[in-house]
Amino acid sequence: MHIPDGLLSVPVAVAYGASSLLCVGVACRRLRATRERGSSALLGVCAAFIFAAQMVNFPVGAGTSGHLIGSTLGVTLLGLPGALIVMTAVLFVQCFVFGDGGVFALGANVFNMALVGCVVGHCCYRLLCGTAPSPRRRVAAVAFASWCATVAAAISCAEQLSLSGTARGAVVFLAMLGVHALIGVGEAVITALIIATVLRFRPELLGASDEPRAGARAGSAVWAGLGLSLAVAVLLAPLASASPDGLTQIARSLGLRGQERASLAEYVGLVLGRGLLVTAFAGSVATLLLFGACWLLARALVPRTTAAPDRLASRAAVESSG
Amino acid sequence: MSAGTSTARKLGASLALILGVGALPTQYAAWGLLTIPVLLGVARWARVELGIVLRRGLAVAPLLVGVAGLALFQGRGWPVFVGILTKSSVSVLTLQVLTQTTRISELLAALRRAHVPDVLCTTIALLHRYLFLLAEESRRMQRARAGRRLRGGRFALWRALGNSVGLLFVRTVSRAERVQAAMRSRGGA
Repeated sequence: MHIPDGLLSVPVAVAYGASSLLCVGVACRRLRATRERGSSALLGVCAAFIFAAQMVNFPVGAGTSGHLIGSTLGVTLLGLPGALIVMTAVLFVQCFVFGDGGVFALGANVFNMALVGCVVGHCCYRLLCGTAPSPRRRVAAVAFASWCATVAAAISCAEQLSLSGTARGAVVFLAMLGVHALIGVGEAVITALIIATVLRFRPELLGASDEPRAGARAGSAVWAGLGLSLAVAVLLAPLASASPDGLTQIARSLGLRGQERASLAEYVGLVLGRGLLVTAFAGSVATLLLFGACWLLARALVPRTTAAPDRLASRAAVESSG
Repeated sequence: MSAGTSTARKLGASLALILGVGALPTQYAAWGLLTIPVLLGVARWARVELGIVLRRGLAVAPLLVGVAGLALFQGRGWPVFVGILTKSSVSVLTLQVLTQTTRISELLAALRRAHVPDVLCTTIALLHRYLFLLAEESRRMQRARAGRRLRGGRFALWRALGNSVGLLFVRTVSRAERVQAAMRSRGGA
């Protein structure tokens, strides 16, 4: 998803760059004010881990491959300001030390993978977790939030390419969403695996207590998942309407008038050829299926045992595993 | 000329070139090709490994050619096609010259002089430091796994590999905390 130079127009690159700069600046101030002494080890390891994970590509079929974005992993472990700084640092080092992703497009890349990825991941995770999450609920929430964050980042990336007038929107949306819906599944599995291991051996890193909440109810998580799935559909459906959306208006005001910019509406029309209700229904069903899959993944990864883990034994297991 | 001034100038010149060519209007973007021979000359003078430049170029080529080809077939015309490829080529080549001739410590010093927030600079420095720690832990775990001669079906193998991704993270955090505690006991930050 790293946009190289040459694909974004000047107004789009400047607008997204300025937005990213502002948000990263605010995050720096917040992190400086709230950072605890001794927390920089987790900050550094998260940054190094996400950096390394982004260099490992996994195949998603049709000759395409994807890599972990890591924004939801970061936001789960570090909170929103910390994750935003870590993702920005990762993208900066990738750009200026390894030449991955464009300099001109750095602001847009930070906007997609750091800002959109972290904010969407954070909101979905918090919504699904509730106030007293069980380990299973946490893992299911993190998996679903990872998928949502990846897809949201892809939509943002497609919108930038479309606004730049580089290619017609419908095809860009189709390609980006299709591929990243699959990459999101990989992201969800990897993030869930890591969080399940952290919950098992170092639950304090997630602010979780050592005692798993045996009686935590899954009902509210299911309702939250249902609500989130419907929200995804409701958010997508207006974009599919025939009237010009807000981004089209921005594109016009930025001087892209006259360019045949297509929006997500064309993409949805291309795929479904139907109206608002069909789009909303299909979106809800697909998202609900994914939510169910995330719940099953959490059941597979987190054992049912209610006994409190022996912290010393857990530590010994981690130390002796390599 | 001090090393710091040299890095700042190198960084400034690279950014100016990439942003300048990137900001060229589509119809004039092909003029950016004139900078390629100059960049190749600088790369040769700086003893940049052209193999790495080529590999990096090939890595981004599918996306670039795909989008540029899409623009061409959608009737945007040759100027857009040539513009995308020119701007990308100049950027990739400039970045490779910059990255292969600049150490991360020099880059960090330049960032600090440019008043980039300290927390971001520290995170970049820690990323670089802990990347080696992560690689070392990964090697240790691989060696241990090879020593235990992991057996079982494909599912068991995937499950074990999946677990080791999580374990690698937890172990690296633990080791980083030990490193940090040792640094602090010696009076470090």
